[in-house]
Order: sequence, then structure tokens, then C-alpha cells
Amino acid sequence: MAKNVLLVDDSSTMRKIISRSLRQAGLDFGEIYEAGDGQEALAMLEKESIDIVLSDINMPNMNGIEFLREKANRPGIKDIPVFMISTETGDDIIGEAKSLGAIGALKKPFTPDKVNEVLGPLM
Amino acid sequence: MNSFAEINDKLIESTIEIFTGMVMMEISVAGEPLVTVGPLKQSITGMVGLAGTHKGLLAVHFPKQVALDVTSSFLGMEVDQINDDVQDAIGEIANMLGGNLKTILSDRGKDINLSLPSTIYGDEYAFSSQAEVDQVILPFQAPSGVFYVEVELEH
Repeated sequence: MAKNVLLVDDSSTMRKIISRSLRQAGLDFGEIYEAGDGQEALAMLEKESIDIVLSDINMPNMNGIEFLREKANRPGIKDIPVFMISTETGDDIIGEAKSLGAIGALKKPFTPDKVNEVLGPLM
Repeated sequence: MNSFAEINDKLIESTIEIFTGMVMMEISVAGEPLVTVGPLKQSITGMVGLAGTHKGLLAVHFPKQVALDVTSSFLGMEVDQINDDVQDAIGEIANMLGGNLKTILSDRGKDINLSLPSTIYGDEYAFSSQAEVDQVILPFQAPSGVFYVEVELEH
């Protein structure tokens, strides 16, 4: 069954690009939901039926690391997988994201081929 | 830290990668690096700050028409005026370049923090730093004009 995806990025441009890349990669997904920061993402996860989250790290209000930390404390949503898509791909910050439950990371910039290679197995 | 010559080469590589891979626009280097760029006219600048072991900023200066064409290509839709989409797109290009600059300056970007991107635009403005900085400006040729990637790093 096609998975519903939540895109979390403060850049509306980047949300559009990721959405387009998912389509160009030919991946099988259902609805695409969008959030502009971690707080909006938590509200969206509580409200909608979402199967996987693709999240930026460097965001205002609540960044990707804070989002992971808060999500881990919420029983109803804590098991929804989160994949990081960010310019932040240093070992320390990705290590912290993974320790908080992130299942992987993709560096910006990316190509549709890279999206397919990395996210295909998760869809 | 790498020399500015090494930084230039890697930043050129990063810029071309971002434009060909994500903006879907072919660009090329438009000459030797500059040390200054005059008042920017009818332009938009996206920038991110760097803090930590390296302090400074990365800015990318686009003439209005180049910014509109870049945004149109990036988003896959026609854009004919500077609006929120253009500001967001130009800011995101600065953000991606800043992320790459972090990695160039420091082992996998450790010990450098990046600010959220911001943009400025107007009929005519100057872009200068109050601090003592090393500075380089890389010119690139896009189909509708030349744009500049600028790096300033405190001594």
C-alpha cells in the first residue's frame, strides 16, 4: 500500500522540490503533507495518517533535532520513521539525529536518482 | 583550513552541482575570482552566516532577471516578479551553498554553525563587511546574465 509522506522544511521551495523529486523518481507514495517546522510537523502527525517523515534539520521555531526529541516522547507517533534531508550532514549532528530515532539522511543538493536510490527502499 | 584557492575550486564545483542537479540550469564560470563587486542594481541577495571555528558569511547575488529565471527553473513554474517564492528559492540556494562551504572549511562541517538564510533586494544597494575579512567573489554565467557567489571569512 502506498505510504503517506510528511515533508518538513521551512523552505516552501524545498518542499516543492522534494515533492517533485519523489514523483520524478517514480516512487509509489500516497498523500504528501507539508509542515514548515517541527511544531507544525508534530501537530500534523497527531492529526493525519502519516507513514514516513522526511525532515530538514535547520529550521526556525523547532528544528529537526528538537522535533525528533519531542516526537520520541509522544506514544501515539513515536514509531513513525523519520528520514533527514538537510545541508547538515556532519557526523555529529546526523549521529545525534540517529540516536533520537532518525533512520537515515540525505544531503542537499540531491538529484531524483539519489532520491530513488535512498528513499526507494523505504517506500 | 584550506587555502582560498582550494575553497574556490570546491565552491565552484558545489555551485555547478546545485544548479545542474537541482535548479536544472546549466551555468559556467564567468572569469577569474573578484575581490569586490560594485553597487548591486535591481538585484536580490541570499545569504547565510557562519559561526564557530570559522566566522563569516556566504552570499549569492542575482540580478533580478537571473533570479526570476533561476526560480522559474527551480520550481518548474513561471515567475515574473520578485515574490515570496523567489526570496525563498534564492535563500535556499544560499543555504545549500553554505552547507557545502561548512563541509569545505571543516571536517564534515563539524564546529561550524549555519544561520537560517535571509534575503535582501532593491533597486540599488551595496554589500560590505565591517569586520576584517578575507573575501572572494566568484562570477558565474547563467543563460540570462552573470551572478556572483561571495564568501567572507574573518581573519
